[in-house]
Amino acid sequence: MSDLTLSPRQSRKRPGDQLLTFGLPLVLALIVIVFGVISPAFVSAENIASTVRSSSIAGLMFLGLTWVFAVGEIDVSFVAVAALANMIIAGLISGGTSWELACLVGFLAGSFIGVVNGVLVAYLRLPSLVTTIAVGGIATALAASIGEGYSISIPEAKHLAFITETRFGPIPLLAPICALAFLIAWYVQEKLTLGHYIYAIAENREAVVEAGVPVRRIIFLLFVLAAVCASFAGLLLTLELTSGQPSIAASFFLDGLTAVLLGGTMLKLGKPNVLGTLVSVLVLSALVRGGALLGWQDSVFQIIKGALLVAGVTVIIWSNVERD
Amino acid sequence: MTIEALRPLLARVVALAVIVVAIAVIFQILAPAYLSERNILSILKQMTVNGIVAIGLTFVIVLNRFDLSLAGVASFCAMTLGFLLAVTNSLLLSVIGCIAMGAFCGAISGMMVGRLRLPDVVTTIAIGSIAYGMGFVYSGGKHFSQNFFSTGILDINDSKLLSIPMPVVIMLGVAVLAYLILHQSRYGQSFYAVGENPTSARLSGVPVRLYLGLGFVICGALVGASMMLNVAAVGAAYVNTGNRILLPSYTAVYLGAALFGTPTILGSLAGAFLMAMLLNGFNILSVPFYYSDAIVSFILILAIAIFSPQTLTWLSRSLRLTGGRSRSTAETRG
Repeated sequence: MSDLTLSPRQSRKRPGDQLLTFGLPLVLALIVIVFGVISPAFVSAENIASTVRSSSIAGLMFLGLTWVFAVGEIDVSFVAVAALANMIIAGLISGGTSWELACLVGFLAGSFIGVVNGVLVAYLRLPSLVTTIAVGGIATALAASIGEGYSISIPEAKHLAFITETRFGPIPLLAPICALAFLIAWYVQEKLTLGHYIYAIAENREAVVEAGVPVRRIIFLLFVLAAVCASFAGLLLTLELTSGQPSIAASFFLDGLTAVLLGGTMLKLGKPNVLGTLVSVLVLSALVRGGALLGWQDSVFQIIKGALLVAGVTVIIWSNVERD
Repeated sequence: MTIEALRPLLARVVALAVIVVAIAVIFQILAPAYLSERNILSILKQMTVNGIVAIGLTFVIVLNRFDLSLAGVASFCAMTLGFLLAVTNSLLLSVIGCIAMGAFCGAISGMMVGRLRLPDVVTTIAIGSIAYGMGFVYSGGKHFSQNFFSTGILDINDSKLLSIPMPVVIMLGVAVLAYLILHQSRYGQSFYAVGENPTSARLSGVPVRLYLGLGFVICGALVGASMMLNVAAVGAAYVNTGNRILLPSYTAVYLGAALFGTPTILGSLAGAFLMAMLLNGFNILSVPFYYSDAIVSFILILAIAIFSPQTLTWLSRSLRLTGGRSRSTAETRG
């Protein structure tokens, strides 16, 4: 149906491979240098800290999503999951629940959406796109119903606020947390059999099933993991913004798809991978911060991100067609 | 259509009629004004925007592709219409421009999916995002309502033909045209052939890329046409006009596909009608919008679950564990 990659046609090494692998980090360096020269405020400690913090939240949100795409499925419900976790936490706190309990309940409720997605897609084998559109629709509706369509303001979390507010110079505390998560994910993806299975399933699901690998369970777990990541990011957004907003994560939708697919252009021969996702998140964040300093409108970012998404997909498809 | 094909069709029409009657009876009991002539006309009018989008989307779904640019393209078309009305003060020119802009966006998606062989989902998300951003170009995000009276765009919404509201007449016209193309011509056969198996379609002499492109162009153009009705009904063009169009139109198409066994024009119209019946009923009962969104989403899941052949086999396997075990061992072992 809607494959992310095409079947290989011819095998041929191309001279541009190196450029493809290091293209994204080069783009990141270029963006940082250009914006740094144009607007010195871009490289101030304050701006770097805030860019890195927003990238960390976005990175954690898209970590699980990366493997859902890598395995050949698609999940568009992650923004709804983040919004649901956010609204449940805010709703509980405004009702008098403690921060810790509210965060736990919100986090679990968001993760549960992943269980629903996983059951429907992995076990009932419904098409993942339409299923996650619908499940996301339900999650969004639930999120909106908590505040009856409005956002909820909550008092700051005194003893939990350090998670998003602490920073060492230009490095917020979230950065090492995010880096650690990506390091573990990279290890799982490269060194453990689970990582190999993910890419093998994308290549030939039937063959992997025949080999006795629990394909359904893996796909189920990947959808749960995607929701766990999105839910955790929703929790962090609640801490950072101290409010519950039904459309809190809407702007992350395009970023998530762009980050995962643009990241696929790096390192793993045109396949979505965690390191690529991390670098693309940094590219997008730097671009948005730099552009905002120059006074660009949101609509400009929409156009740029859309164009980047098309560019990323084109590179993935072309590299796969030419290479294998 | 052969007799064998007609019999299940009859059963499906009966099933549809039963559902319609059931919904009507339930809402009539809860809200006595539900089946008044005025409300029935308003249900029909309410379904026109989603109905026309669903008809366009049907072509893409028949091709076994997805178009997720609907929301962005719809907003862009609405803003194009508003801008052209404000600048040219000519209804005909503005409407043509609006539909042409939708077709143009569809053509770009179609070319990328058909010719460049890019994956449809991601490509159309990107195109939708770009189109949404382009909607801001005309006015920086401000809405348009200039010349709405003088050009007569509001009359599209308010006038009637033989006591039927004009939007309904337009939708029926579009539906008849789409029906003739998709179900009564060899071109329609080719659409289904490309959707089922592009390779065998190509070997049978169907220009696959052309049909992929055409499907997206038709979908885009009809999104433009639906925005003409939407802008006329709202009385202004906003940058977020298209935001609430994606979910209902997909639900309409999949509901229709679930009812009729495969995506068809008649099915999509029926789906849009059922959705309008429900949404109108909830509206009368003053159910908040977010609950109706949840219900629409739930219906979508049900529809794809019924539409999916895997569900049926899975269910029958679960119910008769012994019968299906040997075939599914490999998959269930882990």
